[in-house]
Amino acid sequence: MPSKITHPKTHKKYQFLYHFLPHQQNKTRARLLSHGALLTYLAMVAIMLGFFLLVPKLFPGVLGYASSINIKDLFNGTNKIRVQNNLSELRLNSELSKAAQEKAKDMFKYNYWAHVSPTGTEPWDFILAQNYDYMYAGENLAKNFNDSKGVVDAWYRSPSHRENLLSPNYDEVGYAAVNGVLDGYETTLVVQLFGRPRNLAQIATVQEQDNLLNNSQISRSALARNPATVPAVLPALDVSLATNTLSFAIGGFLIFLLILDIWYSRKKGILKFTGHTFAHITFLVLVLLGLWITLSPGRLI
Amino acid sequence: MSDKHALHYLLLLLGLSIFGFFFVYFRYDQMIQIMISALASIFYVGWGITHHALEGRLTKLIAFEYILFGSLTFLLVFTVLYL
Repeated sequence: MPSKITHPKTHKKYQFLYHFLPHQQNKTRARLLSHGALLTYLAMVAIMLGFFLLVPKLFPGVLGYASSINIKDLFNGTNKIRVQNNLSELRLNSELSKAAQEKAKDMFKYNYWAHVSPTGTEPWDFILAQNYDYMYAGENLAKNFNDSKGVVDAWYRSPSHRENLLSPNYDEVGYAAVNGVLDGYETTLVVQLFGRPRNLAQIATVQEQDNLLNNSQISRSALARNPATVPAVLPALDVSLATNTLSFAIGGFLIFLLILDIWYSRKKGILKFTGHTFAHITFLVLVLLGLWITLSPGRLI
Repeated sequence: MSDKHALHYLLLLLGLSIFGFFFVYFRYDQMIQIMISALASIFYVGWGITHHALEGRLTKLIAFEYILFGSLTFLLVFTVLYL
């Protein structure tokens, strides 16, 4: 029986294609879907995770979350939402803003991310320290967001934060957006403090509010190496961008290879003794879809 | 596709949809989302092994394949949610 002789170049081409396509004779999946390849992806993701967890501890501030947040946009965004929901606009209060500033600096100083500090200091302690005698008060926190709109949108979507945002019990608000290094990551912490003064005559005037808005700027944690005011956080590497891109790229690449596997196997009638490709696709697609839908650009508490 | 096969897939879709619902429901708590995705991965590996065992074609390599897919998917989700 005469054997079919193939040109070496054609052979090489097919060898390369088998990285992406199932093998007809061996009845195996594409090489990039083999157990060895899957183990390699697993190791790659584990190394990436280790890198992003270890580097901030060894070189604080190198990694971080790029952001450009300003108080004017946070304030206007909040009031826009309140007006849309038939609520009165809040006034920007200087005492609440100072309290928010102190809270943000305290979080950087003691390296925590919570409503209550490790020493037991509560949000109300910061407000009372500024001699703001309140009837009602509330606090919203955010970190790792890219811009002001993202922060306000996330607060609005979160039921507990929306409750503060749309509460009729508040007349005033104070903001702080402070840059610094938290847990080794360069980031911007946003503090929003709400209040209603016990003496309603003390509510900030429009003049006071405008002065405050014109003077507002992002400050930097006193612990940072460069205490100058910086309008935006620009770390050497943006953690969110890097991890999201890599994770979705690996997931998407796997889905692409699995779809290719189904298509080519059906076309060529290749029967493989493996797990179910369709089940793998279903699982990966549903997980990545869920992740995509719920993906938040930052963190809230 | 046999009726048994279709039933198995239906159970997979039902299970993953339930996990998906809770994943979206707890969208503001990343730690709970991480726990849900870990449980979903365990469920998927369990489904794969049980399904192949019931069909009488379970091998160590097939079980390993499901473990690899489950682990990899969980690690991808963990990386995005934790950092």
